[in-house]
Amino acid sequence: MCGLSVAFALLLGLLPVCLQVILIDVSSAWGQYEVEEESPVWVRGLLDVRIARSGRSSSWTSRGPGKTRYGGRETARATRLSVSQLALELGAALPWDMVARAQLNWDPDGYTNDRPLLIEAYLRKEWGEWAQGWGLQTGVMNMPFSLEHTGPAWTPQYTLTPSALNSWLWEEGHLVGIEGEWWRVIQSRLRLGLLLGSGFGQDQAGHLLAVRGWVLSDALHGVNSDLPLPARGQHVPAFDEQDNRPSIYAWLTVRDLRRQAELGIGYFDNLGDQDERGVWGTRFGTLGVILHPLPQVDFVSQYLVGEARHRPCRCGVSFHAFYALLSWHHRSHRISARYDVFRTHNQDGLPNYRDRGDAVTLAYLFEFGLQHRVGFEYIFVQSRHAQPFRSSPSDDGGQLSYRFRY
Amino acid sequence: MRSLLKASTFRVALSLGSWLALTECSFALAGEINGRVIGPDGEGIAQAVVFVQTLPDGVSPLAPPAAAHMDQVNEQFAPTLLPIPVGTAVSFPNQDQIHHHVYSFSRAKRFEIPLYRGEEEAPIIFDKEGVVKLGCNIHDWMAGIILVVPTPFYAVTAGDGSFTLRDLPAATYPVVSWHARSQTSLEETLQQVSVDEQVPNVTFSLTLKSGGSRRPIRGSRGYR
Repeated sequence: MCGLSVAFALLLGLLPVCLQVILIDVSSAWGQYEVEEESPVWVRGLLDVRIARSGRSSSWTSRGPGKTRYGGRETARATRLSVSQLALELGAALPWDMVARAQLNWDPDGYTNDRPLLIEAYLRKEWGEWAQGWGLQTGVMNMPFSLEHTGPAWTPQYTLTPSALNSWLWEEGHLVGIEGEWWRVIQSRLRLGLLLGSGFGQDQAGHLLAVRGWVLSDALHGVNSDLPLPARGQHVPAFDEQDNRPSIYAWLTVRDLRRQAELGIGYFDNLGDQDERGVWGTRFGTLGVILHPLPQVDFVSQYLVGEARHRPCRCGVSFHAFYALLSWHHRSHRISARYDVFRTHNQDGLPNYRDRGDAVTLAYLFEFGLQHRVGFEYIFVQSRHAQPFRSSPSDDGGQLSYRFRY
Repeated sequence: MRSLLKASTFRVALSLGSWLALTECSFALAGEINGRVIGPDGEGIAQAVVFVQTLPDGVSPLAPPAAAHMDQVNEQFAPTLLPIPVGTAVSFPNQDQIHHHVYSFSRAKRFEIPLYRGEEEAPIIFDKEGVVKLGCNIHDWMAGIILVVPTPFYAVTAGDGSFTLRDLPAATYPVVSWHARSQTSLEETLQQVSVDEQVPNVTFSLTLKSGGSRRPIRGSRGYR
């Protein structure tokens, strides 16, 4: 019965398509000059399936000390087949030249409880042209500082796994707010952009970094995500607003018109009220650069420094992270190598949440057709976390990925 | 000697004939069609294409079509509308530092090419007339049209809707007008226009649908 229903539904679905084809073919001898109407609504999707061979340390996703997304069984390495990302992107062209966009992700890793994660949902309007203009955007969004999350559905463009720096920016970087942006070409050589934003939901920004430390992960979190902390049963909500003080952020970009060099300077402060219980006071600055010294070579580097304080507990930290990535591409092939450094330093005495590590990532990506990509990546991580793990997790491991983009 | 004289006379006659034929041809090539494409309110319509739909008997293309380019500049196709005669080879140079993945699912041409700066792909030959809608698989808002027309006689209207079809030998031509958002069918626009000593002036009337193109993201948001 079920099979019959499915067949009937398929027939119903196919009927209009068949009719359309017949109508187009017989309607006019000049049918090839007709322009198919552009739908004001569009839907895209992305599926990424991985075979991951991990190190022995259990992953942070299962509250372990491991630094990578896929971990082992503490005593042995593990191999697993996993859906690393399933994304649905929706877009709509609205009246008054406004654009609406939304993205939902399903992450089958256990801690999300299989519920859809709202990655973004915003309205945007721009005025002016490429050479000069400004825009407004409001809704659920992530801070704009990552130089790696620039691929489809906000996936990393050069590797499978982003740097520790940008992994964190996409873990605790969600907010609900409004931002304004202005851009202008000056002296016919440089394009300046200044983005100023403010939003709510960042009261616990920095909590995850302070207690768990840095990780390298391509798992995209939504505004409704609960991120696991090392202690059993504890988590950090990606969106939490208790002090009703908005966060502020700024992102200044300068680039030449041929886009051979691009510089970005960013600042964020959640203006957290330390008198409110559960509110963290977190701020950071970041400096990033993208260079194209040769047409087929990309060099991306970024530095971030900041602090996260929390008065009720002695768990405030200062933190910094850096990475340098070199990528070479030829037609649909891309090879990338990245070096990561990440540190947190205790600021309030014991317990010591100091976390320090280095990582090297090697990746090869190959796109074929409009919709397919295969990739291989190997990550070597050396790290030391004083609390709560007191461990030096072994994390080197590889991943084989197949990505389908609709 | 007599045969040599005959041959020389024949060559001279041949040269003279050729010159006369060329002269006649160049006179014949002087023909033009002027006109405007307007909307129901009488306002000129820009970016419409006016073209000769079929060549009359005795008129043939003068030369094979020249190569054409469809650039990608600042995450836009440039030009957004490229009319070409059938058989033209079009290259797609990427002027941006970022990756584009150009594709078309149109009946007149289906293709996809990943394009990086500094990497020239072989030109694509458009051998069927019709509309070829272009998109970029990475930047959803990028939209362009290659209009493959059946003859080498075509023109794009200026901002005021005016156009000129040039270099037409004397004959009567079926001329049509097309626009990407036209609700008027191509058949309805068909006019027979005679090119002779007087320059004909033709007006085409089109009704356009309201524009609903996707707006590009020009700020720092958006995929690369």
